[in-house]
Amino acid sequence: MADGVAYSLSELMAVAGARELKDGQVVAVGLGLPVVAAFLAKRTHAPHMTILFELGVVDPEPIAPGVGLADPRVWYRATMLSSFADMLGTVLHRGLVDVGFLGGLEVDAYGNVNTTLLGDPQGTFRHFVGSGGANDIASLARETIIIIRHEARKLKETIAHITSPGYLSGGDSRRKAGLSGGPRRVITDKAIFGFDPESGRMRLESIHPGTTLDDVLSNLGFQPLVPSDLRITEPPTAEQVRLIRQEIDPEGIYTG
Amino acid sequence: MKVCDLSEAVASVPAGSHVALSGFAITRCAMAFAREAIRQGLRGLTISQCVGAMDGDLLVGAGVADHLIYGGGSLDRFGRLACINRRIEDGTLKVEEYSSLSMVFRYLAGSLGLPFIPIRSLRGSDILKRLAQTAPGDHANVVDPFTGEECLVLRPLVPDVAVVQVQVADADGNARVYGPRWDNAEQVRAAKRAIVITERVVPGDVIRQQPEQTVIPGFRVSHVVQLPFGAHPTSVYRAYDYDAEEIRRYAEAAKTPDGLQAYLDEFVYGMRDHWEYLAHIGGAERLNRLAADPILGY
Repeated sequence: MADGVAYSLSELMAVAGARELKDGQVVAVGLGLPVVAAFLAKRTHAPHMTILFELGVVDPEPIAPGVGLADPRVWYRATMLSSFADMLGTVLHRGLVDVGFLGGLEVDAYGNVNTTLLGDPQGTFRHFVGSGGANDIASLARETIIIIRHEARKLKETIAHITSPGYLSGGDSRRKAGLSGGPRRVITDKAIFGFDPESGRMRLESIHPGTTLDDVLSNLGFQPLVPSDLRITEPPTAEQVRLIRQEIDPEGIYTG
Repeated sequence: MKVCDLSEAVASVPAGSHVALSGFAITRCAMAFAREAIRQGLRGLTISQCVGAMDGDLLVGAGVADHLIYGGGSLDRFGRLACINRRIEDGTLKVEEYSSLSMVFRYLAGSLGLPFIPIRSLRGSDILKRLAQTAPGDHANVVDPFTGEECLVLRPLVPDVAVVQVQVADADGNARVYGPRWDNAEQVRAAKRAIVITERVVPGDVIRQQPEQTVIPGFRVSHVVQLPFGAHPTSVYRAYDYDAEEIRRYAEAAKTPDGLQAYLDEFVYGMRDHWEYLAHIGGAERLNRLAADPILGY
């Protein structure tokens, strides 16, 4: 592997997420890999980035990992503690969130995300987490980054429920629904996808070192656009891996 | 006199009321309130909260509530809201599922006395499609009089009572909420009245020394209950950490109706009151282990 650094696929995904963030941006994150990605960006190329948690937490500097947003460990050393109305209202609804991270049970070819239910919505189904702030972030952030495991049962042509809108049915359907922005990247443990600006369908951007195009496509429930200049995802640097393991996620809770 | 014991505060809530709960996943949940409501046999509640939490799950599981208005939720890494999910799946819970922002906007509209509130999210999603079936009268499309564009508007939410777990309050109900407040300030202001359950009742002079810290004004509060560890096993910032072992026990039990019943029998029906519950889960020794570090807040 590049410069001899061993890394896990979760670390690669976190690094890929961090690479999408720019200095000075306002970033809304939930827990898990997005938090690792955001803190990594902040400690490397984006020191002036602002990290928000929807329940009312600005720019925390946790020294211990938490079990979720409700864990005061992840609020530690915040610059402000406020409310949903403040974070999701005066920042997100006002149009000031540059990047939002989303995860989910299922994602379709247009970047629509399901966190609500699996099965038949009118018949037998299993109910899961639902939206929280995910629908709001997907609707209102300037762009979103989706992080999800690369499995055919998760990356599907049609999903059971659109909790968080991507490009809906493609083309200009998102704009017609009154929404701007939209998903920019989907990061999996095998590849990174972008979106075709015309059709709104997922387009393969790069595949991770050690995987093959066949492996990527055979574990997908839909056919993405595949460019002729397909790249290999840039691997993490030694310093990025060190920061994740020693400072950001030392217990390997999200990246182990 | 607003200061009263928990049973009196719970008894003030009539069957069929709409109760807004202060919990968020596994923090500042109105757990002692929920346990007492179950013991008193309260029925027919509508419950609302921006993010579903352990207080709501217990009340739905025990059959106290059969109507839920929420924005989705979980027990964070401890698991799903098993009782809520099960009753959504078997169709016995009337559920209206929003997002965090749309819930807080509904409370905000209620708090301001607005006729409706426009919102830019929800559009294009299946959340809105399901709401058109489950709560068709609570949203509409109107034309923005200034731009001529169509916009989605939501009906205000006005709970009969907000039940809020706080760190500090005085006898009049002037209350502080340390840490993030998620939807609590809007819930209280939208509701017709509030029940404050506080770790500690302090003299009014303490409140008057730093009135900028008051999040809930006393004149909106009908009852004040002093109840240390009232949110156990969930956390209260700067007071105590969540009790991982007891939340895990609940999350496991709640996965099946039988497991839940055994949990309720032991930790709710089997307990005379909150004090017996605290003794049962390990008393002062256990609670002392959960006490928050004053610097860390957890």
